[in-house]
Amino acid sequence: MSSDVRFTDFKSDKQPTWCPGCGDFGTMNGMMKALANTGADPDNTFLVAGIGCSGKIGTYMHSYALHGVHGRALPVGAGVKIANPDLEVMVAGGDGDGYSIGAGHFVHAARRNVDMTYVVMDNRIYGLTKGQASPTSREDFETATTPEGPKQPPVDPLALAHAAGATFIAQSFSSDAQRHTEIVQAAIEHDGFGFVNVFSPCVTFNDVDTYDYFRDSLVDLQETDHDPTDEDDAKAQIVDAETEQQGVVYRDPNSVPYSELRGLDSNMAEIPDGAPEDATDLVREFY
Amino acid sequence: MRTARTVDPWHPSRILEKSSVTPTPHGDCIPRSEVFSPADRYVLPPMAEDLNWAIGGEAGDGIDSTGKIFAQAQSRAGRHVFTSKDFASRIRGGYTAYKIRSSTERVQSVVDRLDVLVALTQRTIDENLDELHEESIVVYDGERSWEAEIPDDVTGVDVPLKSLAEDAGGAIMRNVVALGAVCAIVDFPVEKLDEALEKRFGDKGEKIVENNEQAARMGAEYVQEEYGGFDYTLETTDSDYVLLNGDEAIGMGAIAAGCRFYAGYPITPATDVMEYLTGRIERFGGHVVQAEDELSAVNMALGAARAGARAMTATSGPGIDLMSETFGLVATSETPLVIADVMRAGPSTGMPTKQEQGDLNMLLYGGHGEVPRMVVAPTTVAECFQKTIEAFNLAERYQTPVYLVSDLSLAVTEQTFAPETFDMDAVDVDRGKVVDEETIDEYLDEQERFQPHYDAADGVSPRALPGTAGGAHMSTGLEHDELGRRTEDTDERIRQVEKRQRKVETARREEEWDYREFGDPDADTLVISWGSNEGAIVEAIDALAEDDVAVRFLSVPYLLPRPDLSDEIAAAERTLVVECNSKGQFADLLEHDVLERVDRVRKFDGVRFTADELAEAIRDAAAAEEVAA
Repeated sequence: MSSDVRFTDFKSDKQPTWCPGCGDFGTMNGMMKALANTGADPDNTFLVAGIGCSGKIGTYMHSYALHGVHGRALPVGAGVKIANPDLEVMVAGGDGDGYSIGAGHFVHAARRNVDMTYVVMDNRIYGLTKGQASPTSREDFETATTPEGPKQPPVDPLALAHAAGATFIAQSFSSDAQRHTEIVQAAIEHDGFGFVNVFSPCVTFNDVDTYDYFRDSLVDLQETDHDPTDEDDAKAQIVDAETEQQGVVYRDPNSVPYSELRGLDSNMAEIPDGAPEDATDLVREFY
Repeated sequence: MRTARTVDPWHPSRILEKSSVTPTPHGDCIPRSEVFSPADRYVLPPMAEDLNWAIGGEAGDGIDSTGKIFAQAQSRAGRHVFTSKDFASRIRGGYTAYKIRSSTERVQSVVDRLDVLVALTQRTIDENLDELHEESIVVYDGERSWEAEIPDDVTGVDVPLKSLAEDAGGAIMRNVVALGAVCAIVDFPVEKLDEALEKRFGDKGEKIVENNEQAARMGAEYVQEEYGGFDYTLETTDSDYVLLNGDEAIGMGAIAAGCRFYAGYPITPATDVMEYLTGRIERFGGHVVQAEDELSAVNMALGAARAGARAMTATSGPGIDLMSETFGLVATSETPLVIADVMRAGPSTGMPTKQEQGDLNMLLYGGHGEVPRMVVAPTTVAECFQKTIEAFNLAERYQTPVYLVSDLSLAVTEQTFAPETFDMDAVDVDRGKVVDEETIDEYLDEQERFQPHYDAADGVSPRALPGTAGGAHMSTGLEHDELGRRTEDTDERIRQVEKRQRKVETARREEEWDYREFGDPDADTLVISWGSNEGAIVEAIDALAEDDVAVRFLSVPYLLPRPDLSDEIAAAERTLVVECNSKGQFADLLEHDVLERVDRVRKFDGVRFTADELAEAIRDAAAAEEVAA
């Protein structure tokens, strides 16, 4: 990896079509800066994007990338990382992608603990389909498909991640560029599954979870005596906190990533041009 | 050794099968009765030194492992073996059996005949009444609570299986006592059984092996003392054979081909592929992931393939349903991926442990939009190995999903082969067009950007594997331009759709899409089939040839692209397409290809074809042809 990588190297020459003011601009900038800060290189980085406004990120960033089917970005990321542990793998998607259609994969990705980063651009609304309730929409949030609100509690991403055994749980706000970058960087540097729920406001369809709302309500855990490596502390934050928070909520310092736990350290792309040596042993087993 | 038996053709179970194995013309335009005239049941003449043996009981009786031990023992003794676990249950569920057909000659199917049956339950006898004949022997345990009712013309051999097993060290060895008894009945060297017991129980310790060997001897000695000799001598040879099933052959082929990543979700009858690879692929630097569902499995495999690994998943019909959305992404992003579909009886949960070839249409046409793909269907256990290797090469050469279609029959059949059938030195790994840091320059645009979907003349644009300097690019399920970026531009759309389809056209032109031919090349009756029916058809037409019924048989392993059979069908008086489904899906496909009607021999009761019933169906079809002429 070259040491002179700048965050703009991760930017493609395609102009985003996100609405002016969309939180995803800030989310993406922080991701690019965090990648550059950790010494990643576009040719050694693999970005997997889901479906939705957030999923467009693969086009606007420059790296090896796959823009997949709705909800299945996490398994793709796991496959990439297990096959080639030398790659820096980042998975990005929205709240619908991660907590609705892909919720099952989120749970299992958390417990699988593959060494990759998962950034969820959480705007608490379905933007690309023009404003329907998302799994993180508030109970009384009125939309075209929920005229009286969803009338069911929103998914709590941090609690879900914790219940599934996630080893790194964090939350950030796209508009707080410095903190968002730091938090994503910490997720990248974590040995294991680094999960960041990013408040990434939708300025077109969500007039409740706005920039002003997050600016006024977010508590930065860094400014409290919260110890992210203390599981009880983390649990208290996740279950009992009365305010929304940003920062690293939980980090398991003893996390051993999936591949390391299984002694997988080779690039599976490298294979001989015939059957591997000792393959004949496989035939002998059937005598 | 003995003569062919005669049976009651109007036994109720025969009539049931008749209605499901019937040559019918296309669709419903001619009533079935007009082309099918009832005739005597066809009975295949016995092969040299063949033995048709089975053990049956309740699920949990250790039927499978006992059957496998006896199959292994016969393989070690240089006998060819063909096993079957897919018995029809004519009564109700809960019954399980393992059948072995063996001979000094190559055996390729099961027949409707049992020479020696180990019956752990009365029901095992009742289920197999019409397969027993005058010289059949039924081994049973007279000390058990049930009182064996054995047909008058069948010899019963009462062996106190449980008591003898207890004397040898534990009732659990009951089935091994029975195997010892069988060795004495058919005059098979019990030392060969020892070898199989050692292989099966070796890792459980010497004591366990010794106890089992002792149990086998007690069974053998009991029969010798109480019954003396029987009219059997099971020939052995010095040949070395390997014994394996289709799922194992797929797994071994995958490792040989350089597959290093497998993700799957357990499903009958594909799970054995995953179980085979687990613990073995690691020795070659690979890994198996048991995913949370099929959606995850196929997407993990896709991710590994994007990273440059040879990756695969295996599943059965319900899993293919779930994965279909991602197959479109695999095709559109031009990712090489091998997907094995080990078919079972559908739709929905269907009959998970029963045979069917019902997924063909889904594999050819499934998924929204137009998905370029290839479909390869091995016709034998050995071909499961060879075609898996070929599937990986095709996938990487053309950067498309390749469906490897197997079925329950292949998956559960243990069959013997000469070890050189699985020739590792002959394996050739062709990774197709891949750029490295030296060659990448040829595929950069004027702004030095790599073009993953470059509009190449043959449709195949080179891949840049992640980590290749200067190759960073996006791939997407959205329609895209040559750079992999979303586009809705009409010209770009047309260009990329045509590029992807052109790859399949290139493959159609460049590769050999052949078929295997058997029988009489000049016969008026042409039989065409795909997948696992090959062995039974070969045995059927061999038997018919003895009776002067000439048949030409084409066994087709390539379904997309596939060989053009126009000339062959035009040359025949009558074409019968044999397959295990109710609609005749392959027959439809051939009619579409050649614009001629073909007749169908279909079966969809969940049981594979036997050589006898195919011989009967083919003979009757040929006879109907003569009447019409």
